[in-house]
Amino acid sequence: MRAAAPAGSARPARPLPGGTRLVRLHAISRRVPAAVAAIAACALGLRLALIGHWDSYGALQLPLVFEAASAMAITITTASPLGEPERAGGRWLPFLRLASAMMLTAAAAAALAAAGTGAHLAGGPLDVLRNVAGMTGIGLLCAAALGGGLAWAGPAGYLVAGAYALYTQWHGPALTTPWIWPARPPHDLGAAICAGLVFAGGIAVISVRGARDRADE
Amino acid sequence: MTAPRVPATARRRPATRRSGLASARLLRLELRHNAMLWMLPVAVALFWFTTYRKTMAMPPLWNLRAANMQSGALADFITPVVGAAAWMGSREARRHTTDLVTITARPRWARLLTTWAATTGWAIAGCLGCLAVLYTVTARQAGWGGPLWWPAAVVAASLAALSAIGFAAGTLVPGRLTAPLAAVAAFFMLALSTELIVGSQSYWQISPLVTGPWDAGPNAGVGTFYPYLPDLSIAQAMFLAGLTIAVLAALALPRGSGGRRLRAAAAAACAGGLVAAGTAVALAGTGKLDAHGMIAIPALHDAANDRPIRFSPVCSQTAIPVCLNPAYASYLPAVAAALKPVLHEIAGLPGAPVRISQAAVTYQQGAGNSVGASLAGPPVSGRPPVYHLLLPDQLPGPVTTVSELAAAARLTAGPAILASVMGDGPGASQAQHAVTAALVMAAGLPPHGIPPAADGQPGTPPEVTPGSPAYAAAQRFAALPASARHAWLVRHLTALRAGRVTLAQLP
Repeated sequence: MRAAAPAGSARPARPLPGGTRLVRLHAISRRVPAAVAAIAACALGLRLALIGHWDSYGALQLPLVFEAASAMAITITTASPLGEPERAGGRWLPFLRLASAMMLTAAAAAALAAAGTGAHLAGGPLDVLRNVAGMTGIGLLCAAALGGGLAWAGPAGYLVAGAYALYTQWHGPALTTPWIWPARPPHDLGAAICAGLVFAGGIAVISVRGARDRADE
Repeated sequence: MTAPRVPATARRRPATRRSGLASARLLRLELRHNAMLWMLPVAVALFWFTTYRKTMAMPPLWNLRAANMQSGALADFITPVVGAAAWMGSREARRHTTDLVTITARPRWARLLTTWAATTGWAIAGCLGCLAVLYTVTARQAGWGGPLWWPAAVVAASLAALSAIGFAAGTLVPGRLTAPLAAVAAFFMLALSTELIVGSQSYWQISPLVTGPWDAGPNAGVGTFYPYLPDLSIAQAMFLAGLTIAVLAALALPRGSGGRRLRAAAAAACAGGLVAAGTAVALAGTGKLDAHGMIAIPALHDAANDRPIRFSPVCSQTAIPVCLNPAYASYLPAVAAALKPVLHEIAGLPGAPVRISQAAVTYQQGAGNSVGASLAGPPVSGRPPVYHLLLPDQLPGPVTTVSELAAAARLTAGPAILASVMGDGPGASQAQHAVTAALVMAAGLPPHGIPPAADGQPGTPPEVTPGSPAYAAAQRFAALPASARHAWLVRHLTALRAGRVTLAQLP
């Protein structure tokens, strides 16, 4: 309930248009502001970490850690606190989910790439884009299977596999499968296709079905 | 309707027994509804993908596989354990049941501890299951030695500490972002903290990922001739136990976690845990690389571990027996076959070794994280003479397969054995260089010098330049029938070794 405006005060605030209000409410209900803050923190952390001196292992594995953290933050936004009522009444829900995941992924890739500007970011912006998109795809698929709350387990596990694959570049036999794309060069087409397929699959599943969530969480 | 009749003589059960049963029931409930159970498939899959496959590709040496298991298993379990523990720690706040459970009879800290225990129990059970598989397969493959339990103890202590840290993060900062961010932060801290290790006297060796001199990697030459030193493992376990106690005790400090006495005891435990952890870090900083390739910490060191392990070597049935430490028994057929042509050339010659015997390595700390390794003692000793051999895997460097190792031993030890019999070396005569080069050619080894990998092998002969008079004499001598070469060497080897034979006198 809104309190009455005092007499003689300025005009009452105009209500937001329906579409904008819907987007705003959806973003808030999915903790999008918190995810954006986490992504910004990851970018800042990467920037600060890049100031330090890292040996060849560390320099390669460092961006992957922050890319995984950003992907995990995005997967958190798939959890819905509203459950069945929203699914039953929300006609625009698939589009809102799609837009939310796409925008956050783009924001994460842009923020991390920007954080590496002027510093030695292993792999460069293309690597960041591919890794963030691929790991977000894994997280979205996990959200559909496990629920939004535990969806981070996918990118977290993939982070370890990716870091190990990077390690095998020195201590062979090297893992060269494109499905472990962090260990492939930025211009590797196979790795880009694999990451893209996983991202597309994740986006499609999460847009249509949403996360598998329990109403009590 | 009648009221149920209650027997007047009904006995009350002892309070402690009831309390124990209730705790067990609570633990059972927590075990059944624990996120770590869902994370176990992820952790086990990672263990198989990164640690198990890599470890199984290594030679079946307990020291090598146990050290690799410690680092690998820990890296695999960090994110699932910390994430699951943080998720469980934030459960009450996430489900908005904090007020509901606050009014229960059990203190808050006891409830939290039960949830932590269930999470840690699943994590340790999963990890020990992986370890059991790895050790069982190794036990079937290894010819000598037994499982090393200190690395397993460090992994178990690490999981308890990681679980406590994640749980505390979830309890203190409850939220959906806490679990993933805590998991990534823990991975970042542990995996990349090893970047800070410089030399063997580093406080950062307290990281449970470290099993020996950092950057030297798992080394087959460690823990076979001398016992596996538990010094660093003890310091790590002490640090992890102290950290776990401190973090868990800190959860009882806020008002409302329990009674006054409980909070006072928790404060004391927290302080004790921090002291133990700090002491362990200080001890790790006093460690240094010992001559046998492990980190020795003076305050924790047992002098009995400096005595060599007694063993009966396994020997080949070649013209000159090749004898290896029984831990390397799986290498013997390949190494003996690789050296057979060389041994055939020198068998029966005066001064030839009666045995090629594998020896221990002596390690030295180099600049930064580099580690030097060399043969402990001269390459040939005793009467009758015994040649002391170092296998390439005993030297720092990548671990090789059996066939790769045999090929490397042929290229490095083969010329060195020939040189030792001919008395060849930097100050030897041209005839000695030529005869050694001739025998190298006759044994089927590369005639144009020795590859750089041979540098670490003692007694590597100097290169004979193609086109030089010595090279021509070597080609001439190598072209002789084996029996003629052997007969000439039997007659003239003593004079050749004394430097009294010239190039012109070679047949």
